[in-house]
Amino acid sequence: MPDSPTPTSVPADHPFRRKGRSTDGLFRAFFAGNAGLTIVILVLIIVFLVREGAGFFPDYRKELVLYRKAGLEFVDLSRKDLTAHEQMSSLLNRAYYAQVNAACRTEFQRSQEVSAVISYVSDAVAPAQSALERVQERAGEEGVPKELQDSLSAKYKELLAAALAGKPGEGLPPTPHLSSEERRQLLSELEARDPLSSDDPPLVVALQEQLSAKQEQASAPLADFRAAIDAFADASLDLDTLVAETGDTVKATKEAATLHEIEIEKRATLLKAAASAKTEEAKAQFETEARESVTTEPVEFKTALQPVLDRTPDFKAANAALAAALAEVQRKLPASLEDPKAGRYLSAFRKAAGEYERELSDTVPAMAAWKHDAPVGLGSTIMGFITGRDWITGGEWQDFYGIVPLFTGSLLIAVIALSLAIPLGVGAAIYTNQLAGPGEQKFIKPTIEFLQAIPSVVLGFLGIAVLGTILQETSMKDAFSWVPGFPIQQRLNMFTAGCLLGLMAIPTIFSLSEDALNNVPSAFAEASDALGASKLQTIFRVVLPAAISGILAAVLLGLGRVIGETMVVLLVAGNRIEIPDFTEGLGVFFQPAHTLTGIIAQELGEVPFGSVHYRALFVVGMILFAIVLSINWTAQRLLHKFRIGHD
Amino acid sequence: MENPEQLLRKGVHHEALKQGAVKAVLGGMAWGVVLIALLIFGRICWDGAPVLLKPEFPFVDTAFLTEKTETLHVFDDASGTRHSLPASEYHGWVEKHGAESIFNETTYSYSGGGIAGPIVGTALLTLLSIVLALFFGVSAAIYLSEYAKDGAFIRWVRLAILNLAGVPSIVFGLFGFAVFVLAAPVFTDTPSERSLLAIPLGFTWFSFQGWNSSLIAGSATLACMILPVIITASEESLKAVPQGFREASLALGATRWHTIRKCVLPFALPGILTSSILSLARAAGETAPIMFTVAVAAKDDFPWEGATGPLGVLQSQVQALPYHIYTLAARIPSSDYTQRAQYGSVFVFLLMIFLFSTVSIILRNRVRSKLKW
Repeated sequence: MPDSPTPTSVPADHPFRRKGRSTDGLFRAFFAGNAGLTIVILVLIIVFLVREGAGFFPDYRKELVLYRKAGLEFVDLSRKDLTAHEQMSSLLNRAYYAQVNAACRTEFQRSQEVSAVISYVSDAVAPAQSALERVQERAGEEGVPKELQDSLSAKYKELLAAALAGKPGEGLPPTPHLSSEERRQLLSELEARDPLSSDDPPLVVALQEQLSAKQEQASAPLADFRAAIDAFADASLDLDTLVAETGDTVKATKEAATLHEIEIEKRATLLKAAASAKTEEAKAQFETEARESVTTEPVEFKTALQPVLDRTPDFKAANAALAAALAEVQRKLPASLEDPKAGRYLSAFRKAAGEYERELSDTVPAMAAWKHDAPVGLGSTIMGFITGRDWITGGEWQDFYGIVPLFTGSLLIAVIALSLAIPLGVGAAIYTNQLAGPGEQKFIKPTIEFLQAIPSVVLGFLGIAVLGTILQETSMKDAFSWVPGFPIQQRLNMFTAGCLLGLMAIPTIFSLSEDALNNVPSAFAEASDALGASKLQTIFRVVLPAAISGILAAVLLGLGRVIGETMVVLLVAGNRIEIPDFTEGLGVFFQPAHTLTGIIAQELGEVPFGSVHYRALFVVGMILFAIVLSINWTAQRLLHKFRIGHD
Repeated sequence: MENPEQLLRKGVHHEALKQGAVKAVLGGMAWGVVLIALLIFGRICWDGAPVLLKPEFPFVDTAFLTEKTETLHVFDDASGTRHSLPASEYHGWVEKHGAESIFNETTYSYSGGGIAGPIVGTALLTLLSIVLALFFGVSAAIYLSEYAKDGAFIRWVRLAILNLAGVPSIVFGLFGFAVFVLAAPVFTDTPSERSLLAIPLGFTWFSFQGWNSSLIAGSATLACMILPVIITASEESLKAVPQGFREASLALGATRWHTIRKCVLPFALPGILTSSILSLARAAGETAPIMFTVAVAAKDDFPWEGATGPLGVLQSQVQALPYHIYTLAARIPSSDYTQRAQYGSVFVFLLMIFLFSTVSIILRNRVRSKLKW
């Protein structure tokens, strides 16, 4: 048909023409650019982490060189023996007190419960009581006006009655170790107490007497042990003073060297400013300032160090004394202690003693071989960061950046979290997907997904406000005293954090595992049913193995989430930068720790821009980034490699 | 010899018992998790609801939502009565009764007044970040779904999206701090010393010295964090639009952009918006990325007060609800007097997040049932 328009005859001013090919290319480029933005962001993340972090190792190395040159390292050789000695005597002390306290555990608890009740009541009546005390003090000669006295006393009585009835706050603390008669006696004594006296009620005094009598009785057979511990503890005094004295000397050297360096830097800046100064006058001004800026002499490390090195014989003597004391105390230790906990501390001491002996004997040769001008390699700096056991910052002595305590903390918390989340998450997924009815499914799935929506800071807050207290109170109960690590010393510890992180990982593991189970072709289950397998056989022998790669990926992604989580660990893990004490056995999980994520969140806000510490935090970020990315990458590989039922 | 039928029945019985036990264990796990979730909600509602709700009309304590955060002063007066007053009322009380009639005073920072500042801050932050993320995310998704052909570039983009989704939030915080706070470009008359690169433009300088800790820096960080989620969700919605729509439009001679604008985007938009509400909840809930990029613990005025124009608002620091909760939980000792602020903030925050999530889920279901081709 000649008069029907052909596709090419779209009128020239038609919108399809105007927005024609020439601009389409632009749009395409615009959208492609936005897609490329994701790559740009990822690259920026890596570039800036590396840029801020890269300067860390050279800067840290410079610090370590000064640490060696000024002789701080030399003193630390002995100081480490001192620290170890302190730990050893604290082990002995713990064994001693564990033994003594085990004998008078009940008395101790009774007395504690009573003081809890008393402090609760005193808190409740504090306003009226302090007002009464005040008017009494100010009354002077003529005495307190009767009216005021009466009104305050009435108020005091009112508050006291409310407190004894358990009204304000949480109510009267429980006293499971007191008989009901004793409790009644305590309350009536409290009620009868004169508001102005600070004496304890008779029951408290009686209980305390009981406690100290029992303690005395329990410690009597251990008198030799006590004496041995004290002798061992005192043996370090010589070394202690020696280290303190030499420490002052080398610290002064270091400070002088740092000051000199700062002044030199200042001069360089001023000279640079002088070179680019606009007027002659300003230039002259800068140059004078530069000349005046350096006021100190460069430090002669060798001469400054000489008085410290001269005391090497003293160090040797103190070292020998310590070794002798160690041998002595080992001979005097009781063969075993009745209380299992005390026994464990004692055997931990015995185990550590051999190691400590070796360390002590190594110190003297190490001191002799030590040289203040031995170079510090970049490799050893990096190794020092990766295998360093101390993360000490902001100290007067020397900052150390060792990642091991942070890494251990992250790892232990992840272990706790996953050991809770894997069974619960995968179990719930299997149940929901295979065994639950449709009604149950409709309820379980959204609820668990809602769990995912809870922001981590809210969980962290709950950990502080609720879970920590509940766990600690539970651990105090006699029925649980067999659990290793109970009673819990710190309310905020790795276990609390691990529980909450497990809770965060459950939804991830649950929904991804559920997906994986869902993706198993129904033919698998049908074939299994047709062969006469029972429901359980079908689930555990056919469906689960088919979905196992997806479930593994789910677990890995959950692990990624746990390791990368910040707020919960920052709030709940206790933030103690120390390698947990593994001598506690399983109780190690109930100690506080710090983590890779937590340290960044806690310290980045406080460090000066561009300092070594600042850069160290970026290096930690880099390591975190690498760990989490490799976990996620492995999970993705698993998902793609072993997908069943898809080509 | 036993009857084979009996044996069989015995086996069946045994099997049923085993199945019951396994089902009970697994069911216990599933319902245990559900129970824990409900316990958490219950606990927060139990302690938080009384702060926000009151028995008489209008049932909501608006003061908590509209007042600024203040320091709480707890003290006894001369007659032994205990008072707890927020700072503004406290000063009035002191003027009236004199400072000498105050005894046993303790102060609790951030625990008095309401949480208007954090609510406003979080609202601004989320709004801004979702706008940024939607703009860039939807554009990227359009490219991925409409223009892209399989190639090296697209593989890199997909790899980047996948990796970005897994980056821990604290690393985003570091990234935002290093890039937006310290290195992003600004126009300034006096470039700062730490500027990476300052380009003179004659009348002013174009200096890479960062936006400091500000609303825009925090929003940009959050936007980067939720970008992968938005891209994935948007791409899914775009892919759900039937191919026939595009083909019909292209067959009529429309250009590709015209097709996208008129025949694809309008049908994908409801899906995109509903799924982006979910990322809104995530952006509102994150603490680690905003700790160093925008959030402050205490601020006396709203961001628009004392700011010069919309640019001033963007440059101001704000309080944010998650950071406020962190401050309340970590920096001040817990006591009876701080509980109101703590549980109240957590309750409001959780309510907000769940509102977003529920709205998004309901909308998603409606969109799914409505837009079916």
